[in-house]
Amino acid sequence: MKKDTIKALMSNQAIAISVEDLHKSFGNLEVLKGVSISANKGEVVSMLGSSGSGKSTILRCLTFLDVPDKGKIVVGDEEIHLKTKRNGMVVPRDHKQVERVRSKLSMIFQQFNLWSHMTIQDNVIEAPVHVLKQTKKEAREKARFYLDKVGIYDKKDAYPSHLSGGQQQRAAIARALAMEPEAMLFDEPTSALDPELVGEVLKVMHDLAEEGRTMIVVTHEIGFAKEVSSKTIFLNEGRIEEEGPPKEIFENPKSERFRQFLASSYET
Amino acid sequence: MFTLYGYFDSIMEGTWVTLNLALSSLGVAVLLGILGALGKLSNSRPLRSITLAYTTIIRGIPDLVLMLLIFYGGQMLVNNLAFALGYEEYVDINPFIAGVGTIGFIFGAYMAETFRGAIMAVSKGQLEAGASFGMTRLQVFIRILVPQMIRYALPSFGNNWLVMIKATAIVSVIGLDDMVRKAGIAAGATRKPFTFYLFVAFNYLIFTTVSTYILAWAERRYSIGERRA
Repeated sequence: MKKDTIKALMSNQAIAISVEDLHKSFGNLEVLKGVSISANKGEVVSMLGSSGSGKSTILRCLTFLDVPDKGKIVVGDEEIHLKTKRNGMVVPRDHKQVERVRSKLSMIFQQFNLWSHMTIQDNVIEAPVHVLKQTKKEAREKARFYLDKVGIYDKKDAYPSHLSGGQQQRAAIARALAMEPEAMLFDEPTSALDPELVGEVLKVMHDLAEEGRTMIVVTHEIGFAKEVSSKTIFLNEGRIEEEGPPKEIFENPKSERFRQFLASSYET
Repeated sequence: MFTLYGYFDSIMEGTWVTLNLALSSLGVAVLLGILGALGKLSNSRPLRSITLAYTTIIRGIPDLVLMLLIFYGGQMLVNNLAFALGYEEYVDINPFIAGVGTIGFIFGAYMAETFRGAIMAVSKGQLEAGASFGMTRLQVFIRILVPQMIRYALPSFGNNWLVMIKATAIVSVIGLDDMVRKAGIAAGATRKPFTFYLFVAFNYLIFTTVSTYILAWAERRYSIGERRA
């Protein structure tokens, strides 16, 4: 059993997500070479690493947008089993289960991916109505609440292309919140934003962390990782190079790679 | 009164046939087009091969040749089949159904290319966002892919439709009483070809002009939420 798992059991904390020995290759390129991570309920796990280190692929594997070649993925109390097809492709054994698990995890994308043909409000109610089968009225009330929370309820009738990047990403966070997920997965949420818009998105994420939401955040924002997360993971070339509470690892990095990464990040 | 030497009603009947033919063929073409596009984009090699053969062969042969081939060849095939199954009487294929089938089959190949391009133009992230919230594949297709691909498909779809309306004229060679054939009969009887063919030309122009306006409206409707270029 993994150290984190034991710790969680001892402290009586429930594990929200756990991934063990995750492998993923694209063609000949091995992106993940056996990665294990876990997030307890209410924990904020941040993942750092240079581009190509595989950090986004972990999130994509968690939601099965990319199917891992190997690995054990448990969300809540459900393990998602894989099977190998006759042509060698690895697919989830039960696609319905994948859909169910996805509805419990909400993803926030680097490119926002708000549906461009729908208004902001329609974006927010789409999945609650069609996946969770809420009534439109119920979903709209929730949309109002969450859009208010991220501060853009006044834009509810606008289309995504009429909003700034920061507003779009906040709308995407509201869309994710409306699913009332067990965990939120952030895939470099501020990387596509103009520098002056990064702050408004980080502030919303900061507030969510304080509410005790389970979050896994792939980011380049070292400041955010340092201040907000309960655990920071540094990935390098498909492996975990360093992990631990941010206080420990930022002050005393054990790995030379991580030290280099931090040094080059502080320079810029 | 405007009676076109007594042939007005007859030609209007033909106009009605042309309109029905065009709209029915459009239905067949859109259906085959969607299936063709999905086949071309699918992971299955046999499906890709079949749809590739379909679009390559159909788009590579003149409509008139295909029409004659399918109508007369199809007629023989059906009769030989019926005979082999022990059916003695001669089977006559209804020319309207033959026309709809042939034109739909031909333009389905063009529509397949139109839809394939439009599907590829929709950004992958839009579909992934749908999947990531637990939407089923069908929901992602209907709620996200289709409304977004329509915008990309419309210009080329409109083009196909205009060409198709005009292509219905060739069904007159297989004996379907569309407005071109009716006009031909009238022109032969009255020896006034200019009058009748001009009238038919004018009818086509009305169809295509109305279509152009509807398509322009649809393009505006499905560009909502997009930045104007």
